[in-house]
Amino acid sequence: MNQFALWLASTPPSVFIQEHNAWAIPAIQSVHIVGIALVMGSVLMIDLRILGLAWTDRTLQQTTRRFGPWLTSSLWLLLATGLLMVVGEPVRELVTFSFWLKMALVAIGAVVAVAFQRALRRHEQQWEGTLVHSPSIKALAILTFLVWVGVIFLGRLIAYDHVWGSWSPARRL
Amino acid sequence: MLEWLQRTSVAVQIRDSLFTFPVLESIHVVGLALVFGTIAILDLRLLGVASTDRPVSRLMSDLLKWTWAAFALTALTGGLMFSTNAVVYFHNTFFRAKMILLVLAALNMLVFELTARRTMDRWDRSGSPPRMAKVVATLSLVIWVGVIVAGRVIGFTATRSTVPAEAAPDVNFEDLLGLPEK
Repeated sequence: MNQFALWLASTPPSVFIQEHNAWAIPAIQSVHIVGIALVMGSVLMIDLRILGLAWTDRTLQQTTRRFGPWLTSSLWLLLATGLLMVVGEPVRELVTFSFWLKMALVAIGAVVAVAFQRALRRHEQQWEGTLVHSPSIKALAILTFLVWVGVIFLGRLIAYDHVWGSWSPARRL
Repeated sequence: MLEWLQRTSVAVQIRDSLFTFPVLESIHVVGLALVFGTIAILDLRLLGVASTDRPVSRLMSDLLKWTWAAFALTALTGGLMFSTNAVVYFHNTFFRAKMILLVLAALNMLVFELTARRTMDRWDRSGSPPRMAKVVATLSLVIWVGVIVAGRVIGFTATRSTVPAEAAPDVNFEDLLGLPEK
């Protein structure tokens, strides 16, 4: 991974970002934060609907139709800006424990988001009738919210990978 | 006053800990993501872009308690981070810009309360709220994006004396740009 990061850092797109890092990196990071904010807002609303704490005058399907597309497009925005950050600072991103743990959580969060929207479309009656009231679905709603909270923590910890002690590959650089 | 703040035991303990500052920063980002995420939903409703099938008042009662709770979390963690290096942050241009933007966000909210909000019972269910509401919503989105940008830049411009020396390798912008160390 170290070799790959160093190679990536020598490619023209990476060099371009490095040469303009004074504004490019904060700008990309800011868009990335706006993206995760839109994800958090959307996930919070759908989860609060499942918990019966908001959007109670709308069905789960209606609430998900309102926020699902925003959630999905924000995830694409995060992927695009995230890739730019990896290209711009490959060693800082890839040679950390936080980054890879974050990617694992992002994969879980994204799979849950897509699977949930699909399942809801296919089994609408079942969801509105019984599933939305089931304690395990409510627990899952809280859990998915916490997955995204974890993603934010790990995203920030990329800059502080030393908190992982000997698990952090950055220590050996 | 700023120097006293930096010397308080809370500030010293955060500075001396390897973990506390990164954790505070992470909570700060979670908080601001929820602040912006929920405000954006309301602003887009006021602009007539999304959630237009719901009354604005319903949306406000669903959203704003979460916005304020998240804001409290963000202000608390922000205050604690400020205390660790108060003198440097206070003199940082982007920190000042961020504080001015927060004041503007509050004034913008006040304008909404004094104008469009007063006639809300007339347009609560309307898909296209009055122009004043749209102006406030647009300004709100712009101001909050500005708060995020200014906040991120603080991290690149305030000297990182709070960060322990063992911190992960990071780009030194002053060196790369050939600027004198601040």
